[in-house]
Amino acid sequence: MSAVLTEIPRETKTADRDALSRVWRPRPGFTGWLSVTTHQQIGLRYIKTAFFFLLLGGVEALLMRLQLAFPNNTLLGPFRYNQIFTMHGTTMMFLFAVPMMEGVGVCLVPLMVGTRNVAFPRLNAFGYWMYLMGGIFFYSGVFTGSVTAAGWFAYTPLSGPQYSVGKGVDYWAQMITFTEISALCVAVELIVTILRMRAPGMSLNRLPLFCWSMLVQSAMIIFAMPAIVMASNFFLLNDRTIGTHLANPAEGGDPILYQHIFWFFGHPEVYIIFLPALGMVSMILEANTRRGIFGYPAVVLSLVGNGFVAFGLWVHHMFATGLPQLGEAYFTAASMMIAITSGVQIFCWIATIWTGRLRMTAAMHFVFGFLFIFVLGGMTGVMLASIPLDLQAHDTYFVVAHFHYVLIGGALFPLFGAFHHWFSKFTGRMIDERLGRISFWILFVGFNLTFFPMHLAGVNGMPRRVYTYPPEMGWQTDNLLSSIGALMIAIGGAVFIANALKSLRAGRVADADPWDSSTLEWAVPSPPPAWNFDNLPVVSSRYPLWIDPEERACVVGMRDDRREVLTTTVLDAAPHHRYVLPASSIWPFLTAVGLTIGLICAVFAFSGYWLASLLGLIGFIGWFWPPRHVEVEP
Amino acid sequence: MNAFPLLLVSQSALEPGGTNASRILTLGEGMVFLLGIIFVAVMIMAVIPLMRRHRGIEQEPLERTHQPSEATERKLAIVVGSAAGATVVILLGLVAVSVVVGKSISTAGMPSHALTIEVTGNQWWWNVRYMNDDASKIIVTANELHIPVGRPVVIRGMSNDVIHSFWIPGLQGKRDLIPSRVNTEWIQADRPGNFRGQCAEFCGLQHAHMAMWVVAEPEDKFDAWFAHQGQDAVPPATEELQRGQQVFLNSACILCHHIQGTEAAGQVAPDLTHFGSRMTIAAGTLQNNKGNLAGWIADPQGIKPGTKMATVPVKSEDMQPLIDYLESLQ
Amino acid sequence: MTQARVLDVSSLPPYEISNRSPLWAGQLLMCMIEGALFVILIATYFYLRLGVDVWPPPGTRIPGTLIPTLALIPLIASCVGSWIADEGAKSNSRGKMLWGSAINLAMAGVFLALRAVEWAGLNFRWNTDAHGSIVWDMLFLHTYDVVADLLVTAVLLAIVAIGRDGPKQRIGVHVDSVLWYFLVAIWIPMYVIIYWGPRLVGAGR
Repeated sequence: MSAVLTEIPRETKTADRDALSRVWRPRPGFTGWLSVTTHQQIGLRYIKTAFFFLLLGGVEALLMRLQLAFPNNTLLGPFRYNQIFTMHGTTMMFLFAVPMMEGVGVCLVPLMVGTRNVAFPRLNAFGYWMYLMGGIFFYSGVFTGSVTAAGWFAYTPLSGPQYSVGKGVDYWAQMITFTEISALCVAVELIVTILRMRAPGMSLNRLPLFCWSMLVQSAMIIFAMPAIVMASNFFLLNDRTIGTHLANPAEGGDPILYQHIFWFFGHPEVYIIFLPALGMVSMILEANTRRGIFGYPAVVLSLVGNGFVAFGLWVHHMFATGLPQLGEAYFTAASMMIAITSGVQIFCWIATIWTGRLRMTAAMHFVFGFLFIFVLGGMTGVMLASIPLDLQAHDTYFVVAHFHYVLIGGALFPLFGAFHHWFSKFTGRMIDERLGRISFWILFVGFNLTFFPMHLAGVNGMPRRVYTYPPEMGWQTDNLLSSIGALMIAIGGAVFIANALKSLRAGRVADADPWDSSTLEWAVPSPPPAWNFDNLPVVSSRYPLWIDPEERACVVGMRDDRREVLTTTVLDAAPHHRYVLPASSIWPFLTAVGLTIGLICAVFAFSGYWLASLLGLIGFIGWFWPPRHVEVEP
Repeated sequence: MNAFPLLLVSQSALEPGGTNASRILTLGEGMVFLLGIIFVAVMIMAVIPLMRRHRGIEQEPLERTHQPSEATERKLAIVVGSAAGATVVILLGLVAVSVVVGKSISTAGMPSHALTIEVTGNQWWWNVRYMNDDASKIIVTANELHIPVGRPVVIRGMSNDVIHSFWIPGLQGKRDLIPSRVNTEWIQADRPGNFRGQCAEFCGLQHAHMAMWVVAEPEDKFDAWFAHQGQDAVPPATEELQRGQQVFLNSACILCHHIQGTEAAGQVAPDLTHFGSRMTIAAGTLQNNKGNLAGWIADPQGIKPGTKMATVPVKSEDMQPLIDYLESLQ
Repeated sequence: MTQARVLDVSSLPPYEISNRSPLWAGQLLMCMIEGALFVILIATYFYLRLGVDVWPPPGTRIPGTLIPTLALIPLIASCVGSWIADEGAKSNSRGKMLWGSAINLAMAGVFLALRAVEWAGLNFRWNTDAHGSIVWDMLFLHTYDVVADLLVTAVLLAIVAIGRDGPKQRIGVHVDSVLWYFLVAIWIPMYVIIYWGPRLVGAGR
């Protein structure tokens, strides 16, 4: 029994849209809203929630910059400032960057691989609720006086029971449990979606580059997240609440071990944030140069190589801790070598730009901005990989400059570009290109004005995480420039938000493919229906939409009276079996609520984990309990 | 007492006064130059296609396939491959140079030394001990080190509480101070001068106010300073100073602070035996003069909120003698 | 063109009870996640151990080997139950699924009972010192996972028992066996490290 490519009269092939829309529409009312399991809805929820946390983190940054604009400033005292810089880093890393990338992946991957939903729709919903509840729980500490002031990385012993009194660090550690569960859910479902649910004919060498980047990123999450579980739960939370001694040197523990485990997660974490952005850049460039990205195999190998090498760099965060020199030298080499995997992609992109026919949309402006900012950040990264230089620059504003260049340049600018590029696809309206370009320039100039002077402040001796500095140090000009730049960034952000809101209401109505793009998401209407494709596509090229529509094949014979997708083989995407997805369900939400209650209790008493387990078990039973009719008709 | 200029104070890695900082700066300048050129070259390559004269794929007759000709792709492959290869070679070179310089600034590259100083980080001050095989000759001070110009000095770093980091940018890279471990590095001043440093690992509330001074002096001046530091505290010479000493010894100050030659034997706060000769108060936060000292004693929390120094009540008629006494401890 | 090229998949089955099922791949990834966590715990164990001369620290008895070794028997026997249930899922045999799950649960129960006895005899707790912390972390996490899988298997058993074992539920039984094999397999190296490591290597007493 296998599927065969045949020819039939064109009119008979179209699927029944009415049936599809009945099957795929959400249940009505508030419970329906809680029960959504379609990927576009959930992906957009991730994106909106993450954007909200971006704004919160931005406000925290502005407060920091206002305090540091002048020496010996008294806007924020030490305790408040330390809390705010901790919240800023934590919010940006855990509550904005990773969930935002997950959201874009959840929105785009099923469309790009040519299927209707992710492999585990209820897990997808559950992951989002855990993220949302974790973020709310973390910020609820603001109202209960439980805000951590120990830094986003929470080094022990400072974050331990002796030196960080109160529940702030515990809230921080448990929030990580929520966000890491969420990231793992998305990682698992995206890997299975990409490897098992691609359109027939989409062999791995035809997989869009964005999907490659999400695949590698998801694999990295699988191996990196357990380390932060270890660091936040087993080291911090347990040391603080039940008296374990993993980080307590007096009883055989080691604060440096905490650093090893934290950074074993922490370094891959930044590549987890960065890799999807690389994929977005490839897609935007492909559409706007009208040619396939040059060197597809090299770009794929670079992405995969990036994923592997990223796990071998973590000690470069610890060069000042006095580790043996020979071991540290290895990490210098690895940290410099990863510039090759990024560099190859950049060379391929430049080759693409050279031989393409450029269309300078707002998204492309952000891509060029990314090139400038990220490559500059990469250069300072190579400097920091050199131990002698790092021993001067570590823990100074030089590092702050470096990582903002690579994170904002490397991840946020591509995100802005992606937003402008795919806005029409998910809203049905064209975003205003002119306003987009204006917001780009304000953000670009503002960003460089904010962060370039920090390089100088750092090598002139300004350490990180200081709530103020004396006037005689000579740092005030750099700091004032940075603070002015921060205000510019805020203005650029405001223009961007205004553009989005205006375009949502009054933008030109968009058709399916305004950019003449190459990948499958542009084959469906804007916005796509909940089932994505009327007929699942069959793919015969790396650039399916650049094949003449008359030449394109599609799938028939799927049932449209239930949520059905097609699984295909891993390497060649030959059709294998049909796979029935669950419809809407409230159980992911209820399970998340149960776990949330338990995990919050666990911050105060270890028995909270028993409550979490019990409620989780109840949720699991509800989730998987079969209906009366269990047979699956062919 | 050394006065430091109220003009710009340098804590800069770009103005080295020591062997190791100079080596690091040379490496840094070289890398900035090389990487700067590469950066500009890459940016130029990225931006040229934006110029109107550049026509990209339009020059190819095969636009419908969205792919340039085989010949173009082959040329691109050669260019990209060469760029990647050049990147590898350059990076390997940078690794090699970094390892060599790294070795030279580590204790492996240190000339034979004669001076060992133990620095212990506390929240938020530095305990300094000049080591000696004879335990009775160990010199204890706080927040300020003097070193002889031209001689290597080993810093043995430890911590009493959380992780701190010892960093004097003008002399050497930083080294973390980690509880229950000893980390060593060496510094050497090439010229006389005052070098400011600051804690470089976030250590809590007053991380921002945990600075220290390294005073590099010619050998003879250092020897004089060192000899004097080893002596007991200067006894109060006048009645006023004696009164000041009595105020000190009758107050809670002696629970934390130590003045050699008196009953004040506290071990958990900076040693005050030669306090008057130091440049700053509260780990570099205030210049050491009578006005600042009065303010510090009267209200430590106002100046350094969160400091572990207790607010010891001092009667207004006692304050002046107390300050005069402490400043007399040269 | 009035003709369209189509791929007719109506003859393909609507489910698959094998390692080609998406749920199987998802379960495999879950095992990799948990496995990574165990590997980090093991790495932590060795890091702490290599930092001191005497291990376990003075005052701590090395855990005895008798009960943990005995407990391996029901643990491995429970895999037989999993295997039978798995075969039942693939061949749609309710009897095999019921018996297999029951054997698995019974043997797992014996294993856990032996473990409880063993734990009562340990003379150190998680808050004794770093050694106690890491050993208890490893024991606790593994036990927690075993109990969780036991409960999942019990729920699946109940579902099969009341007759609601359609294809999706049988995929669940099939995939549950993967998790159980993983939990048994990951225990073997931890067993060797915790109970035999201090005896065979280095300065154990």
